[in-house]
Amino acid sequence: MMAMQETVTSGLSKRAARCSSSATTRSNTVENRKPCKAHSLTIDELVFGREPLSLDDLLSSFPARTSQILELLHLFGPLNSPMLPVFVYGGASTGKTSVTLQILRHLNRPFVYSSCRTCYSARILFESILNQLLLHTKNEANGYSSIRRCERPSDFVNMLREALVDTINNLKGRLGKSKAGCANGRMIYLVFDSLELVQEWDKNSILLPFLFNLYDILKMPDIGLIFISSCSPDAYYSNMGYLDPIPLYFPEYTEDDIRQIFLRNQANRKLYSCFFDVVLRPFCRVTRRLDELSTAFSSLFKKYCEPLSDPMVAPNEEIKRRLFGHIQPHIAQALNEVFQVASQPSLEANRETQGRGIIRKPGSCGNLDEIDFHMSTSGKYLLISAFLASRNPATLDASLFDPKGGSDSRKRKRKASGKSLENKEIAEQDLLMKGPGTFPLERLLAIFQCITSVAEDFLDEEEQGDDLSRVETGSILPMSDVLLQLSSLCNANFIIKGGSCPLEGTTRYRSTVSEELALKVARSLKFPLSKYLYRQ
Amino acid sequence: MELENRAEKTLNLLRSRLCDPSFIFKSFSDSPDGNYSKLKFIISSSITEACNNSILLLGPRGSGKIAVLELVIRDLLLEHADAVSVIRLSGLLHRDENCAFKEVARQLCSEHQLSFSKMASFDDNSQFMIATLRECGLAHKTVIFVLNEFDLFAQGKQRLLYSLLDAMQSVTSQAVVVGVSCRLDADQLLEKRVRSRFSHRKLLFLHPSNEDIQRLLEHVLSLPTDSSFSHDYMVEFNRKLQNILADQRFKNIIATYLDSSSTVNHLVRFLFVAVSNMDMESGFLTLENFKVALSSIQRLPKLECIKDCSILELYILVCMKRLEVKEQNSYNFNTVMKEYKSIHDSFRTSDYYARSVCLRAFEHLLQRGLVCFMDNRVQGQSVEFRSVKLLISPIELHQGMKSYHSCPAILLKLMDREG
Repeated sequence: MMAMQETVTSGLSKRAARCSSSATTRSNTVENRKPCKAHSLTIDELVFGREPLSLDDLLSSFPARTSQILELLHLFGPLNSPMLPVFVYGGASTGKTSVTLQILRHLNRPFVYSSCRTCYSARILFESILNQLLLHTKNEANGYSSIRRCERPSDFVNMLREALVDTINNLKGRLGKSKAGCANGRMIYLVFDSLELVQEWDKNSILLPFLFNLYDILKMPDIGLIFISSCSPDAYYSNMGYLDPIPLYFPEYTEDDIRQIFLRNQANRKLYSCFFDVVLRPFCRVTRRLDELSTAFSSLFKKYCEPLSDPMVAPNEEIKRRLFGHIQPHIAQALNEVFQVASQPSLEANRETQGRGIIRKPGSCGNLDEIDFHMSTSGKYLLISAFLASRNPATLDASLFDPKGGSDSRKRKRKASGKSLENKEIAEQDLLMKGPGTFPLERLLAIFQCITSVAEDFLDEEEQGDDLSRVETGSILPMSDVLLQLSSLCNANFIIKGGSCPLEGTTRYRSTVSEELALKVARSLKFPLSKYLYRQ
Repeated sequence: MELENRAEKTLNLLRSRLCDPSFIFKSFSDSPDGNYSKLKFIISSSITEACNNSILLLGPRGSGKIAVLELVIRDLLLEHADAVSVIRLSGLLHRDENCAFKEVARQLCSEHQLSFSKMASFDDNSQFMIATLRECGLAHKTVIFVLNEFDLFAQGKQRLLYSLLDAMQSVTSQAVVVGVSCRLDADQLLEKRVRSRFSHRKLLFLHPSNEDIQRLLEHVLSLPTDSSFSHDYMVEFNRKLQNILADQRFKNIIATYLDSSSTVNHLVRFLFVAVSNMDMESGFLTLENFKVALSSIQRLPKLECIKDCSILELYILVCMKRLEVKEQNSYNFNTVMKEYKSIHDSFRTSDYYARSVCLRAFEHLLQRGLVCFMDNRVQGQSVEFRSVKLLISPIELHQGMKSYHSCPAILLKLMDREG
């Protein structure tokens, strides 16, 4: 597991290591850090910052990545040799970033790393690169500001060229006297990570062609560019068209590779290997991504070990069989769970999946009727009304919520049966395609008023009002409180604020709650939700 | 140690050559009817005759337009050091007119040792440019404007092009505008008022011929005779290189590569990978290096993507393909799940997973770029309801699944069957 943790954190730890190393050398810097201290940073800050790695260590810390490492090393070439831009790509968690950074650590060459995930706009990206090159750290004394203000590619090129010339001259100046821990050579490498995200925020598509052309624009042989992306190069082809950099592909790990990786740091390898015989194949049919597998396996392995008294035991046939019987029912369940790791945010889906994660969790927990989060009663009513407003056609509101609704329900049935089969199919298709409908605020509030008053009547009949006080608060809730509840539901992503209606100009809402969850919430309130659901 | 050092030196030399476009295009510069000679003639005659001129250099990306132009400019600067100054703009950087004028002013200032004010307005800068052009004309100094990505300057109001070309209409000014573009119709993009002021001189850069390529390979890869390398090593290296270049298998490799990407820069990129693979112990290039380079540079990203997919992801892809064959004009995750369920119902497959797991697999596909949303502007819609499309053709999908080592038979059967 160590290697994997390193995999994940090395991008961050590099900076952290740099900070801590500077802190240890100058012990009093924490209290009163003066701007002049920043000048004492030397060019050596641009290397990885820990002791260099030998080639054997490098290869052994990344199982199944040997050919990629060697190829990348070839492309980096010997000391002081120029390099054409390289494009490293492959799926998520295949070791692209960490292999690249560890190779630079092995070579001990100066580099600038910037990820388009943390640098989420052109300006932040540019300034982060300049800050690193000019050895500028943001601190209290300079008001956490960047060294230069730089928004446009044209300004960036000028400033970058200036900074690079300085740095390279600096590197060249010390070429003769190289000692341990110093940066090697006079090449400087710029690493751009998570390039696929640029497609999202670079709406005018200026930045991508610019970055790909940066090498030709700068015309400096002493810089090397490395792009890291999880999208293959063909995702970047556009009508703009540019000469593509040299591709280097990191394939997804195979089953054997995964086994090798997981076995690396296990205390009891034999036992883990038995465990793998059972679980690996079924899980690999679903996903081969290491980060997802590792979370699934860690909890599953604990279950697997439960019947054992001694976790270091060497398994024999009998134990294996017993353990297999023990784990088997859990496998099927674990396969159908979305692992608790937030699935890597794709595109704009990020926000939504996180929101729905809350909703889906009770579903995946399975059999429980209880909802496993706290919500106020009026919040629950509001949730149900939003669900109804999203699901039912607005034209039926009057008949559904009319207090004298007995005849209406019959009428509704007749109407529904009168529909032709074809229409029904189209409507079904519509529901699948369009998802829940939108509604204005007024409609939501009206439904809310109706169902709270109905619920009161309903409970009166059923329970002779022993719990009346609670529901009453729902019906006489001041409007401001309802609106407050609504905004917190919006924040929790149960209700999405949609675009405004083009005709009226008012904001429209949409409920994202699944029927399952809505029914569950209704049950907890003893509210007869199914009576109010319109079915085609 | 000595051997390795020698190999490293060779490698460094070859790599620096490949990263230096002016070295590469030098081999083309000596032919009398080449673009280099033509361009040089045009620009130098307008310098000596003190007239205005404008040229377009057109050709595919990576065909060496800029490299040849830079060679010409370098030679001209050597010949007429005081009479030439060069302003370089790129459409990628200076598409915005404000930016462009500012950059022109900045470069003019640094050229003539004037202090540049960042605060100068658009109007100040354009006035300054015209005034400087006039002054330069009076001093018989030619200003060469290099406009890279010329077609991008032709977007919008074209004010930069207009004021440049308009200033060149006056007798006093002396300037050459060189537009560089990979759009062959770049001059058709100009407005009428700009086009009428533009001289329609064009230079085309075409793909290199076979003889050119042969000459280029020798020029780039062979070691120089007058160098610090030991004589024996140099002779041996060049002899081995000649053997490789004459080998029919090598010619086939180059031909295969050039079939798909035929510009000089593509070739350079290929050579770079091949050279980087050079064996450091012997210090000689082998045919194997070129073979490896070909396989590592010619990628089939879609098939790789399919190989990376898990079985569940393949199921989703097949479902989507079936929906596309049914000519459903738009579909989304929900429809795909319906199809997935129907496959499961009719064939009782073992791979039937919960909806949330499928949704995650679906998001993986989105990240891999095998699937994409139809519209990018919708906000607040959840993933399930946004309509999607496949970004892989059924043939590629089928091919990928056949080479997938443990692809379930049922999936292949479903692929074979139409619909």
